[in-house]
Amino acid sequence: MKKITSLFLSLIMIATIFCACGDKKDQTDLEYIKEKGTLVVGITDFAPMDYQDKDGKWIGFDADLAKAFGEYLGVDVEFSLITWSNKIMELDGRTIDCAWNGMTLSSDVLAAMECSNAYCKNAQVVIVPADKADQYQTAESCKDLKFAVEAGSAGRDVAKENGFKYIEVIDQATALQEVAAGTSDAAIVDWLMAGAMIGEGTGYANLTYTVELNDEEYGVGFRKGSNLAGELNKFLKQSYDDGTLMNIAQKYNIADHIIAQ
Amino acid sequence: MSDFFEQFPTVFSALNVGFLQTLKLFAVTLLGAIPLGLIVSFGSMSRFKILSGATRTVVWIIRGSPLMIQLMIIYYFPGLILHNPIWGSGEDGRFLAAAIAFIINYACYFSEIYRGGVQSVPRGQNEAGLVLGLSKRQIFFKVTLLQMIKRIVPPMSNEIITLVKDTSLSRIIALQELIWAGESFMKGSRGLSGLIWPLFFTGIYYLAFSALLTALFNYTEKKLSYFKI
Repeated sequence: MKKITSLFLSLIMIATIFCACGDKKDQTDLEYIKEKGTLVVGITDFAPMDYQDKDGKWIGFDADLAKAFGEYLGVDVEFSLITWSNKIMELDGRTIDCAWNGMTLSSDVLAAMECSNAYCKNAQVVIVPADKADQYQTAESCKDLKFAVEAGSAGRDVAKENGFKYIEVIDQATALQEVAAGTSDAAIVDWLMAGAMIGEGTGYANLTYTVELNDEEYGVGFRKGSNLAGELNKFLKQSYDDGTLMNIAQKYNIADHIIAQ
Repeated sequence: MSDFFEQFPTVFSALNVGFLQTLKLFAVTLLGAIPLGLIVSFGSMSRFKILSGATRTVVWIIRGSPLMIQLMIIYYFPGLILHNPIWGSGEDGRFLAAAIAFIINYACYFSEIYRGGVQSVPRGQNEAGLVLGLSKRQIFFKVTLLQMIKRIVPPMSNEIITLVKDTSLSRIIALQELIWAGESFMKGSRGLSGLIWPLFFTGIYYLAFSALLTALFNYTEKKLSYFKI
């Protein structure tokens, strides 16, 4: 009964919002975060950046760094799992305050969000079945393959640049599954993700990665015009200088990829 | 194979958490949509032309557009268009938005089933009731309703079993239901990553749950066979 009542109440809430929409346009994002006391970080399951430990707590390089950033700002950090392709809607709709999940700073991303400085290097790699890896060591040799790539991802962009034939799928995990199932010849995914998801001890033991197609950098996305991106840059500099950033990176084995601030 | 037995307890407990969310959405949707559907069906059967026209238009819109879009509109529009994120940020907000979208959607489908049920009761019974001096309300509750319930069980069970699986659509607004829980092991969760089997294993949950529902509906149909001559 309580549930029904609360549902009806929320229906009434929607109705009232249509009448009076409170718009606080002159407040900066930093003030907005401090006022509500929480920074909501939009993430997906993505080892080693954001993933749950055995007790269901969020850990990973990005998660730990986000927690430290919350302390720096003096607010609580709340992690919210999102559907990654909806991140801009989530930001603009204020259901999250930043998208922080190994996000490649592509031109699309830079145009749609206020982004921090790059903090981590990454590459897009070609995934093929291990037994065929020898034939596909250069980008040129991959020309005839049918690729699976994540829709709207950096992998899609490099596939386009290289003139590959590709099909867009919902996420990188599905792209790997396409290769494993033989419905696509190869996939293009993040190097960091490939490290965690394929090879010995995973469900994709017979896949491997070959060519690095590009170099790219990870950053954090905020709402367009937000002053939080600047705050994060200050924080990155400070934590790089005092060593906290590298400590966290070492914990998750990605110290080689950190960009000096 | 030994890997599988090591992974199973972790995966199983994560899937159970997801399944609980699926069940919650399923139950809340039914609790809301079954009564709301009745109200909607009265609306579309109303002799007041404006009301029935308006109700039928709403039913047309809801039945005629994908539930996935409805979920996104209900969850994202308050923040995007009205600049007022009423759902908050946590998973509770996502659940509430999903529940409202499902209730509205299923109420519209149910209302048409109810309408079919009510209109399948012969008109003569209505007239007989009036001759005997029963009020309209009495005729509905004492004559029509019981026969209608009996007749709508098969189409309702169809819709309800569809609902079990439709709940997985709510992952578009990142509600962490069963399919989401299964998929999370591909990208890495709770110390495991690159696992494909948990996603397919979720199918067993849906199968088992719909088997239970099917048995329940068969039992209900038997119990309701009281008008057989």
